[in-house]
Amino acid sequence: MTNWLKNVAWRHAVVIPVLLFTLFPLYMVVLSSLNPSGSLQVTSFVPNKISFNNFDTLFNNPQIPFLTWMKNSVVVAGFVAVVSVAIGAASAFAFSRLKFKGKKFGLQTLLLVQMFPSILSLSAVYVIMERVHNFAPDIGLGTQSGLILVYLGGAMGVNIWLLKGFVDSIPMELDEAARIDGASAVQIYWQIFVPLATPVLAVVALLSFIGTFNEYVLASLFLSDMDSRTIAVGLQQFIGGQYSKNWGPFAAGSILASIPIVIIFLSAQKYIVNGLTAGSVKG
Amino acid sequence: MRLFKGSSLAVLVKIILLTISISVLGTLALAAFAHGESEIGIFISIAIAALAVTYLSKISVPMKFFLPGMVLLAAFVVVPILYTLTMSVYKYQTGNYISKSEAITQDLLIGIQPDPEGTTFDMRLGTDSNGDVAILASDLLTNSYFISTTKNKIDLQPNQVTLNADGVAEGADGFKKYNSSQLTKSADEASKLRFVYKQDYFLLTEGFDLAAVNSQVLSYDSATDTFTNATTGVTYKDNGRGNFVNTKNKKDILPVGWRAPIWFDNFVKLATDPKISGPLVGVFIWTVVFSSLTVITQFALGLLIAIALDKKIRGRRFYRAILILPYAMPSLMSILIWGGMFQTEFGAINTLLGTQINWFDDPWFARAAVLVVNLWLGFPYFYLVSSGSLTAIPSELAEAASVDGANPRQIFRKITLPLLLQILAPLLIASFAFNFNNFNLIYLLTGGGPRDDLGGQVAGATDILISYTYRIAFGGSNQNLGLASAISVLIFVIVASISLYGVRKTKVLDEF
Repeated sequence: MTNWLKNVAWRHAVVIPVLLFTLFPLYMVVLSSLNPSGSLQVTSFVPNKISFNNFDTLFNNPQIPFLTWMKNSVVVAGFVAVVSVAIGAASAFAFSRLKFKGKKFGLQTLLLVQMFPSILSLSAVYVIMERVHNFAPDIGLGTQSGLILVYLGGAMGVNIWLLKGFVDSIPMELDEAARIDGASAVQIYWQIFVPLATPVLAVVALLSFIGTFNEYVLASLFLSDMDSRTIAVGLQQFIGGQYSKNWGPFAAGSILASIPIVIIFLSAQKYIVNGLTAGSVKG
Repeated sequence: MRLFKGSSLAVLVKIILLTISISVLGTLALAAFAHGESEIGIFISIAIAALAVTYLSKISVPMKFFLPGMVLLAAFVVVPILYTLTMSVYKYQTGNYISKSEAITQDLLIGIQPDPEGTTFDMRLGTDSNGDVAILASDLLTNSYFISTTKNKIDLQPNQVTLNADGVAEGADGFKKYNSSQLTKSADEASKLRFVYKQDYFLLTEGFDLAAVNSQVLSYDSATDTFTNATTGVTYKDNGRGNFVNTKNKKDILPVGWRAPIWFDNFVKLATDPKISGPLVGVFIWTVVFSSLTVITQFALGLLIAIALDKKIRGRRFYRAILILPYAMPSLMSILIWGGMFQTEFGAINTLLGTQINWFDDPWFARAAVLVVNLWLGFPYFYLVSSGSLTAIPSELAEAASVDGANPRQIFRKITLPLLLQILAPLLIASFAFNFNNFNLIYLLTGGGPRDDLGGQVAGATDILISYTYRIAFGGSNQNLGLASAISVLIFVIVASISLYGVRKTKVLDEF
């Protein structure tokens, strides 16, 4: 018995309070989403009446185009994830495998550029896209395609570094063998690197998807139109500091918006955690 | 035998993609030049040239791989950063946004004055016989009428106009009155026009049916680069800092200024102006405290859990699945949810504790709330990485120490923890750097507050450098992008030093 106390019981005793701390907000948000009154007020920590009113509001209230927001987020984040990984992978391959002048300089610049607080160059991005809007209204300020372009630029640095780490770990012998067989760099890339790297590319794309899905500041500056907003901006503006007013539908919305991300994350957990130890911090 | 052959399909795909990109970019470049955005046009043209040269020649194989990435990075990251860096040596703030020539135009537009009598006429907006915008004005005192455009003025005889019951001319020969939809569309445009009156005086429309006599009092002389006020005789000179200033009274400046280089004044201000350096130091201290406490608490809790779950106990998988949920949730949603829970009235935290604390109105409670929320958001990350690292520490070390008579606490403090810290140091540094700029958390949870808005306070109690700078640049009515850029440079230097130190530790740069 004392042995059990010494070896096992304390572990449970440590974990359970933390478990409660972890679950508390999650439990509260579920509770609020099922609360028929939809208010912030907690009358009881045990649900006495369950209703799906809030979910109903979410789908049927024209003032909360929840599904449109979700669709916007998925389109923007999906596009950014796929394209940024496709472009980033090629750059990472070049930085890892090919020899050229200015490689060290390029990598150092890439590193340095990432350290600049991107939010602070926001005004410049804003001015540029405002000017682009003057001659190309389809990709300038206020459009999702413009936002996607800006995200793509921002995603380059991180993705190239992450992917370079992976390319470095593929044995050089593979390339050399292929080169002896007459393969060009482009062929090595498409026929050796891409097939080998597909799982990693998928994970980096997932991380990129989650990061973009979470992005708030740029999206809020870019998308002022109700129907073009992403879910992050939509829900934030909807709750807009007035927690007591729209709490119920917000709770329902945040649950529905989080579920896909949580599922993606948990299903790719093993790979993501490996990537984390390699030095990336999820936003 | 050649295993690898160039396929004609690949070449075809390449050509198609290249054609599409170049034609799209070409259209954009042309549009940019056509709208006077020549800098953007030049940038796109260079990109087109680079694309064509890279993919149609064999000049550089590496370029084929990284060119698209580099173009995007240059356009949306590097150029904005360079722009921000440049702006740190400019006076660039509310009142000083535009270029000098635009500012002169604006000052001229504003530098007008009504005539001494304040004469106004009833008028109707429309077009004259040439189709130019015109006004039909009626002087009810003298029963005289005239049509005026920006070019000339035609006096009319009473028999040439149709009057309404009030004696205001509604129509005239050679004048076509706007209907109401035309009027709403054009009134704003017409208000910017100067209609001919007499000599130095001209007419400005006010609303839909009034025209006022005005004259230009400010005049600009480009030879001496000065403004002169015709009424007061005062001259205004370029002060070299983005404004025209009265030569006799330094406080009298023309309302519209421009962005002008002021070299290191923004940086000097940061160091010496007590109104700026005072809050900045406070914000800086809180930023460091916030990031340090965040990393320490997150790491401590994560490590504690990792140690507790280091052994196969019952329910471990269940625990693990729950404990990483905060990390799997989109952080933005979590922050907003916590924001609701910390509300004073009806918030779950106060209900649970049975208190009535104004969490976001009291500096210390707000800071505590920020740290608690960030702990919740981040400890799972350190739990994951610590538990991974714990398994990487060879168990022989602990066993050997145990044989030598060390108790578990000694083993942890003398062996496990130092080794762990060594392994995780780069991640701890990275996390510090990340939280140093954790804009979303502060902005969405407390907005940097509480702060005394009425007292004109810019720095809130929970503001970290980046949210404070964001407020200087974009918040409120007095935006100062020049100063914000200067602080950005400061943050950049700090974060870059921290990160470079971290990078040295991980030795990534050794591979070059």
